[in-house]
Amino acid sequence: MKRYGEHRFPGKLFVVEGIDGSGKSTQLMLLHQWLQAEGYGVVFSEWNSSPLVRETTKRGKKRQTLTPSTFSLIHATDFADRMEHNILPLLKAGAVVLCDRYIYTAFGRDVVRGMDRQWVRELYSFAVKPTAAFYFRVPLDVAMKRILDGRSGVKHYEAGMDLGLSEDPEESFGIFQGRILDEYEKMVPEFDLTTVDATLAIEVQQSFMRLIVKAKLAQAKRLRVAP
Amino acid sequence: MRETYAAPLPGMNLAEMTGKLIVIEGTDGVGRLTQIRLLRPWLEQQGRAVLDTAIKRSELAGKGIQQAKEGHTLGRITLSLFYATDFADRLEHEIVPALRAGFVVLTDRYIYSLMARAIVRGADARWIRNAYGFALKPDAIFYLRIGVDDLIPRVVFSRGFDYWESGMDIHPSEDMYDSFRKYQTELLGEFERLAKEYNFEVIDATPDVRTVFEHLRAGVARVLSGEPREPLFSIPTAGGESLEAATKKVLEMPAPAKPAAPAAEEPAPAAQPLARAAEGDANT
Repeated sequence: MKRYGEHRFPGKLFVVEGIDGSGKSTQLMLLHQWLQAEGYGVVFSEWNSSPLVRETTKRGKKRQTLTPSTFSLIHATDFADRMEHNILPLLKAGAVVLCDRYIYTAFGRDVVRGMDRQWVRELYSFAVKPTAAFYFRVPLDVAMKRILDGRSGVKHYEAGMDLGLSEDPEESFGIFQGRILDEYEKMVPEFDLTTVDATLAIEVQQSFMRLIVKAKLAQAKRLRVAP
Repeated sequence: MRETYAAPLPGMNLAEMTGKLIVIEGTDGVGRLTQIRLLRPWLEQQGRAVLDTAIKRSELAGKGIQQAKEGHTLGRITLSLFYATDFADRLEHEIVPALRAGFVVLTDRYIYSLMARAIVRGADARWIRNAYGFALKPDAIFYLRIGVDDLIPRVVFSRGFDYWESGMDIHPSEDMYDSFRKYQTELLGEFERLAKEYNFEVIDATPDVRTVFEHLRAGVARVLSGEPREPLFSIPTAGGESLEAATKKVLEMPAPAKPAAPAAEEPAPAAQPLARAAEGDANT
């Protein structure tokens, strides 16, 4: 079993991270469009999307029987399935893989839920180290406003209601996201995350991203596929 | 105070788990389930409440693992983590509450089988030990030891070779027999390493069911009486009756009515006549 950082593949892996409402998914979508137009073989993979464990995750969330440990392990199972069946083979084949959330999401959430910091990092040690990991840094109130304006409410686990932080879902969501934000800040130096100021105009953030991605892809010309 | 191998789970209070956690380990088809079916009524007869649990029985992940395994598309790391999810769910929702309530928890396999399987499939030994670091240390681990040559006839003449128990996922080019032999040999080797590391109490599983049960029962009696392992003079038997008499009584007992267990979804397996019980453990 190869560990984080030991993998060497022809493909490239770019990931976006940040709290809910940081705008990371929008940025990844724009990057995806651009890479496709440039003629790269691009594949997108989303957090918590493996069909293999979907029913199990749904069952746990619906019945609200997930604890910090099972919440963590079921998401690790989901991630492992995508890693083994999707991300690894694609990187071996020379694709550009884009991930909306990666292991850092688990590190943030699971540690805030009380799981041991080193335990979670070791659990995900089979993951491939990204070519670049973009962290969209945003103040809590800005992210909260984006989320709460656009939706009718937040879900139980999303708001961290299982932690008993507050009876009020919105208040709980705020406290929970704030703690995750603190975890992200600690991870920036630990994992050398590329920080993007998520309060800037969307197109400004995007051109910064493209600049970095372009530089990384320049070292790997053979990725380009014929249109 | 109970201990864990590494950091405990958040919110898990390790004090006041007055019950006993007894693990029955061993490879596929060695007769673990048969022995648990004998142990349970024997313990209940002495007034001990028993919870029995096994891999894949969790409310959360049991069904998902079953479905995933039917597809044969399960990656090795994914499979290990799916099992870890199942284990964590049972630990928090079944095992810990039962230990707090003073039950004897008999678990058919524990983290050791899961680690052995993962390691044989190429998982990093350090990684899998970390994954299960939150597990409670049991009061005793009884390992039913058998050699591959004694194991094969048992499996052939009961339920036959199973895809996963034959490691067909890692030796796909072989026929079932060759694959089973190769895979189980590797697995048994890994069990021996774990036996040393985790201080298993080894029980020879090659004799008949009754003999194995006598040894196991003596070991369990010792754990429950709180005596240290390997007593100087004799193995104490619970209730004062002779080992032979107690064993005979249990083996001839009718099935118990309805054993009490917290959160027991499936009916607990009743004591089977020996011929049937020897069919083996089709629960992996």
